[in-house]
Amino acid sequence: MSALNELDIQSLLSGYEQKQFSVQEVAESCLKAISEKNPKLNALLEVSPEKVMARARELDGASQDLSRLKLFGVPVAIKDNFLVKGWQCTAGSKILEGYRSPYTATSVKRLEDAGALIIGKANCDEFAMGSSNETSAYGPCRNPWDLERVPGGSSGGSAAAVAASMCPASLGTDTGGSIRQPASLCGLVGIKPSYGRVSRYGIVSYASSLDQVGPFSQTVWDSARLLEVMSGFDPLDATTSKAAVPNYTQSLVESGLSQVTLGIAPKWLEGLDSDVKKAFDNSVAALKKAGATIIEVDLPRTKYSLSVYYLIAPSEASSNLARYDGVHYGLRAKDFKDSETLYNRSRGQGFGKEVKLRIMLGTYALSAGYYDAFYLKATQVRKLIQEDFESAFKKCDAVLVPTSPSTAFKLGEKSDDPLKMYLSDIFTLPVNLAGLPGISVPCGLDQKGLPIGLQMIGRPFEETKLLQIAKAHEQIHGVMKRP
Amino acid sequence: MLSKEEVLKIARLARLELSDEEISFFQNRLTRVLDYMTELKGIDAAVGSSVRHVPVDCEEFRKDEVVTFPDREALLKNAPSLEEGGFLLPAIMETE
Amino acid sequence: MSDVREKYEAVIGLEVHAQLLTASKMFCACANQYGAGTNTNICPVCTGQPGALPKINRRAVELGIRAALALNCKIRSESIFARKNYFYPDLPKGYQISQYEKPYCEHGKITVRLKTGEEKQIGITRIHFEEDAGKNVHAPHGTLVNLNRAGVPLIEIVSEPDMRNSHEAGQYLRALHSVLRYGDICDGNMEQGNFRCDANISVRKKGEAKFGTKVELKNINSFRFVEKAIDFEIDRQIDMVERNEEIKQQTRTWNSAKNITELMREKESAHDYRYFPEPDLAPLIISDSWCDEIKKAMPEMPDQVRARFQTEYGLSDYDAGVLTASKELALYYQEATKTSGNCKASANWVANELLGRLNAAGKEIEQTPVKATDLGDLILRIEKGEISGKIAKTVFEEMFETGKTPGNIIKEKGLVQISDTGAIEAAIDKVIAANPGQVSDYKGGKVKLLAFFVGQVMKETKGQANPGMVNDLVKKKLS
Repeated sequence: MSALNELDIQSLLSGYEQKQFSVQEVAESCLKAISEKNPKLNALLEVSPEKVMARARELDGASQDLSRLKLFGVPVAIKDNFLVKGWQCTAGSKILEGYRSPYTATSVKRLEDAGALIIGKANCDEFAMGSSNETSAYGPCRNPWDLERVPGGSSGGSAAAVAASMCPASLGTDTGGSIRQPASLCGLVGIKPSYGRVSRYGIVSYASSLDQVGPFSQTVWDSARLLEVMSGFDPLDATTSKAAVPNYTQSLVESGLSQVTLGIAPKWLEGLDSDVKKAFDNSVAALKKAGATIIEVDLPRTKYSLSVYYLIAPSEASSNLARYDGVHYGLRAKDFKDSETLYNRSRGQGFGKEVKLRIMLGTYALSAGYYDAFYLKATQVRKLIQEDFESAFKKCDAVLVPTSPSTAFKLGEKSDDPLKMYLSDIFTLPVNLAGLPGISVPCGLDQKGLPIGLQMIGRPFEETKLLQIAKAHEQIHGVMKRP
Repeated sequence: MLSKEEVLKIARLARLELSDEEISFFQNRLTRVLDYMTELKGIDAAVGSSVRHVPVDCEEFRKDEVVTFPDREALLKNAPSLEEGGFLLPAIMETE
Repeated sequence: MSDVREKYEAVIGLEVHAQLLTASKMFCACANQYGAGTNTNICPVCTGQPGALPKINRRAVELGIRAALALNCKIRSESIFARKNYFYPDLPKGYQISQYEKPYCEHGKITVRLKTGEEKQIGITRIHFEEDAGKNVHAPHGTLVNLNRAGVPLIEIVSEPDMRNSHEAGQYLRALHSVLRYGDICDGNMEQGNFRCDANISVRKKGEAKFGTKVELKNINSFRFVEKAIDFEIDRQIDMVERNEEIKQQTRTWNSAKNITELMREKESAHDYRYFPEPDLAPLIISDSWCDEIKKAMPEMPDQVRARFQTEYGLSDYDAGVLTASKELALYYQEATKTSGNCKASANWVANELLGRLNAAGKEIEQTPVKATDLGDLILRIEKGEISGKIAKTVFEEMFETGKTPGNIIKEKGLVQISDTGAIEAAIDKVIAANPGQVSDYKGGKVKLLAFFVGQVMKETKGQANPGMVNDLVKKKLS
């Protein structure tokens, strides 16, 4: 019998309905796991047993039967770049140390309205800039599969928390792969929805045209449940779509592959670890055996994704992070002589190296004389990348690619050359650039016993189809056990 | 290779104070990344067609109605320094 | 000196920032309200909290479209919001959401009437939307930042550099102000800061095609100062050119205490604002049908009202012009005429008596102590013969001083015109009895003495006798 903290969402919901346990019992179990494992993993930056138990009591003591709520009593960890009223919001940075959120992000509010229990704020790369959780100003997060290795990033803490059974689910954000890549490195399901599917109101903006909110979970069903609760038009976010939100969990019932065509882009699949290639090929073969048609597609311009991404994202970030100036909130340097040194010193002291690098990169790309050659050019090539996918989707329903070219690497392994780190996102970046939905599912372990992820990329707002394919894959492979 | 002056110019625009060590660190890193991006130069991208990332069925506007934010105090609480309800800063000289 | 000045002409362009009359701010639902307590109209969006996002106020766009239509601009069906990036304490996000390469309208014009009587057309280069910044209040020990104003909707109206002297600039500003007030687009209150003007001024020798170096003049915060400041600056620049001194591109401000322009800051190579399209907003779509809808619902514009006053009230073009100079004045005149029933008399009283007294007291029509209906009532009483025109002027003075109604003043002071035949005849008899010599002179042929008798009767009745009646009755009595 699993401990309560190890149960997935679907099991928790059925357990609550059958009155097998209370929310307080589940909460206690999760808090115990956190107190045992978090000191080593550093997955959560703010834990508050008082807040958690108060909420658990509230849920247990509700006068009406709330167990019909879609996420009743489900503990969820939230990446620390989400604003949740009453909790800290550091975005992994010293510049927001001590900042208490004055409001709650729409996506989190929807979870809470559905009965969820916020279990803690999760560690992340500073301002979501990173692929390993090593740029966090609050110390790196470690991969529960191997403590010497990274969990991935930037939502490393969110992934680690679920992989370590601190809670069944968590939320992260994905700008260039920051949900999918950690999901892959930690053996979880992770989804980046279509751009505009989930509200960005209340998440610390990194790159406004790329950021999306998404779930981490053990199973496809769980992520589908989280997604259907969070998704949908938000009047506070002018970039959300008015398209209706399907009942994703219900649509998982029909998960046949006979009508599905999947595309593989061989030219894109370069630089893979041999174990990753093997696992990927096995998954493709298994899906074919289960009835899917496999075809080849060409995505010739995805190779420019790194350049395009690292011009657009830092440019938008350089502007989004201008508000951190020590005037109205956040870190204010103690020693300054006038307003200019106040700004320079507060920001100089408050931001880490990677953040400063990206701010400067973006400032440069937008500056007079460089705007056309850099930022503008990048937005034009971005359109070409989007068009490549559009053509591919005329012939297939989803594109398959490994989520990450490698499995979890060692802490410090990729820190000497920025490009080495950036290249870990080579398969995830184009998906954000094209605004498409992408899901990473576990598809095996490498020879070191580390998880490998398979990514499925779908048409805009076709999360349903993507989830069905993922579910079919899960039925073949089974749910990956935790370490 | 980006010059020290160029790095300082960018840092000034971005209001970032850098130590000498940081300046050369960033000189190297920025140059490395920017060099990689020159691959975009040769691409023949259609002029004037940038991507539209916002869904076509988004809602453009908000009705002109006043909604009072319920917790003004919470907004002011994070301020480093307040006086009579205003955010307090050292005296500014009109430098730009 | 004046000879030298004749050699030059000034080239003046004006940039006006006008706050739009919306209930809420441009990108959030906080109240758009002047004078509220420090940092009371704030929310996560307008204070630039992490995670907050903008959402466009539809009414602000509507008012902007109204302005575009009133100023004959070409409206863009798709325009783009852009971020203008710079650091300043009153700018919480570290950028202002504005419009750059693709403003929502351009290439407009407005007709301006000069004191010579001629009309001049001033071009409008562009109008774009943007959000206002907060306010920095300077105290000796520091600066206090108040974000109530941050996020208030603005339109920035940029004129072509078509003005050649301060009068044209002043008239342009007044005409623009009038359009915005008539259109209920902006309150136009310069003192409160919801209508702000910056001028770009350069000089060159007449006939020269090349522009001189332009100087930006900021903080011109009342109509009275606009022309003064521009004149001073023009003179300053001419003097410098005459002395072969280089005019530096800089920003200056008007010092109303010293009546001079002073250096505010050197304009370094123009700020690098690193404009790029606002990624949190979709492109702004303005359809033709929306414009038509707004056009249909447009309030009357000053020129239309001016034309209407000529047909409806039979006023001359000049008089109509005076009375429609501002919306308040036009409304005042309409109300007064409604009550008095006499268009021409009302026009005279409003344009001459009222405006004269207001100007002397340094007041605007908005601050008139005399209500329109009361003025109309006064005029009506003259019509009815209750008081004479001369007495009415005294009553008006009292009305202006005290704000009392004409009825009350006339009653209190017993100023009712005497139109009773018996009373007047009694007075005439008195005068005749007291002046036998003049009576016989008059009867003997000195008809000019009629005026003497009328004067005496008026004196006898303390000026309250109906002069027309006195005239007739004296004639009758002495015939």
